Amino acid sequence: MSPTANATSAKGLAGESDLGRAIEELAECSQLRPLARNLFEITFQSPAIAELARPGEFAQIWVERSHIPLLRRPFSFSRADRRDGTVAFYLGVVGDGSRRLRALSPGDRVRILGPLGRGFTLPETPGRSALILGGLGAAPFPLLAERLRQLGEEVVWVNGARTADELYPDELIPPGVQEIVQFTEDGSQGSTGRITAGLLPLLKEVDRVYACGPNHMLGAVFQLISSSSLARLPLEVSIEAPMGCGFGTCLGCAIPLRADGTNTEPVIGLCCRQGPVLRGSLLDWEQLLLQPAHLA
Amino acid sequence: MSTLSPPFDARVDLGRGLVLKNPIAVASGTFGFGFEAEALAGISHLGAIFSKGTTPLAREGNRPPRIAETAAGMLNSIGLQNPGVEIVCVDYAPRWASWPVPVLVNVAGADIAEYVMVVERLTGVSGVAGVELNISCPNIAHGLDFATEPAAAARCVAAVRAATDLPLVVKLSPNVTDIAEVARAVEDAGADAVSAVNTYVGMKITLPSRRPVLPGMGTGGLSGPAIKPLALAAVARVRRAVQVPVIGIGGIASPGDALEFLVAGADAVQVGTANFNNPHASREIVEGCLQYAQQHHLRRFADLRWQELEFPGAAEEGMRSD
Repeated sequence: MSPTANATSAKGLAGESDLGRAIEELAECSQLRPLARNLFEITFQSPAIAELARPGEFAQIWVERSHIPLLRRPFSFSRADRRDGTVAFYLGVVGDGSRRLRALSPGDRVRILGPLGRGFTLPETPGRSALILGGLGAAPFPLLAERLRQLGEEVVWVNGARTADELYPDELIPPGVQEIVQFTEDGSQGSTGRITAGLLPLLKEVDRVYACGPNHMLGAVFQLISSSSLARLPLEVSIEAPMGCGFGTCLGCAIPLRADGTNTEPVIGLCCRQGPVLRGSLLDWEQLLLQPAHLA
Repeated sequence: MSTLSPPFDARVDLGRGLVLKNPIAVASGTFGFGFEAEALAGISHLGAIFSKGTTPLAREGNRPPRIAETAAGMLNSIGLQNPGVEIVCVDYAPRWASWPVPVLVNVAGADIAEYVMVVERLTGVSGVAGVELNISCPNIAHGLDFATEPAAAARCVAAVRAATDLPLVVKLSPNVTDIAEVARAVEDAGADAVSAVNTYVGMKITLPSRRPVLPGMGTGGLSGPAIKPLALAAVARVRRAVQVPVIGIGGIASPGDALEFLVAGADAVQVGTANFNNPHASREIVEGCLQYAQQHHLRRFADLRWQELEFPGAAEEGMRSD
């Protein structure tokens, strides 16, 4: 490999998560809060990880020492409370891993490995942020909104979902958020339509955008912003990829990256080390959207 | 205050001067080049590290999806993503040189010339304790040819043997009619040890899509606890076929799993897929095995071996006396 090739490595493009910060903690479930449909929020006593977790980073959770399902499941931190030593995750039952978590009761223990991955970049000087969340993509945003508010940032919370009961519940949105805008595809709450339909006017007054949701939604948000007069607005997205280990050894969660604004051949990065949060302009969206997002 | 029983010796001699402090190693493709684990969970407890498969030039690997979970197992089709042997020698090996654990580089190639090229480059590099020849990757075109045809496997191993004096382990594929035949062929061609088994070719299909999860032909390599009984049988068969040390691999996730492979005739083992789920797996397995040895007053781990493997016919005699 030539030095030139090395310079355009995934690490060179996007940096790499610091594995030295990750620890494993035996964590006790302290609360399971059922929400609409198959959605729920689960809280664990995990003081060491709660101390470390930053918005956009994730944890690998092992429900029990069982071979089915074999692999841990990665979840972004929804909350990390340093005072009471808890971390919380917002998720829906979509497969074996999340079903096991849904079946836990307070007092049950799991092994949590984290924090892993690279999270959102927090602003150096306060301004106004738009948080764009689709469906389960709400997961990292309660923690992000809380930390942004602590920095004096104004927060616009833009939530889209198929139906009203798939919107992130109003009562769980952190206090201090300046503006809440909602879209449902069936019109059962907020504006009717997809989030991209009414997005641009909401972004006129913001200094930066953070987005998380299905990869195809993130691609649409990136496309919309980058082809508009707001193309220079900083955009960070938290993407998904089928993940095995979460710390860079299985090479399962490959994602296509390339230098900002170039059309060069994509470089293979890892969602778990270069992501899950990346500048929107670093992703080869065309290649990324060919891939299924979840561990089937 | 001495005890009457002789002290326990956990060391394992893999030949050509390569002595492991204990028989627990980690498998190629499940541990990168060791640096993630070094940061996350430490590596000093290990008997040896087998690196990610390394080719002459950098490889980007296969297009995603690359992994799929199955019952007690997983399929992978990574496609030998690696930075190429030059980066391994220049950037990685100097860091390995200070580690208290020997690192063996797993070597892959498209033809014999490529295997020889990589091994020649690695020879004499400080930090490289040996090589493991991956003649059995199921995820690259032609990768299985050397593994399934004993004469082709022997030609590849003989060419590499002539090119290096490094300890040479040959990793065997289970996707063959008779793994013993291939094991004998590579032993005759100069392998210092054999490791068995690589992954089994498998497929996962989802009904909603009516197609395989993995791209291309839809197949990948199956690993994890699902393959352990198959791997134990393969290891016992290889043990009977060769004199050189055998390294057992296949679904080891607990100390008990590792000890079972030692019973089945393995001299050492590699922990693989378990490293993904539990970065502390290999440490827990080392500690558990040493504890077992102490509790059961072993002198060495080889004491565990099933007697029938040492003295063929013993099992039949046992049956007759029943």
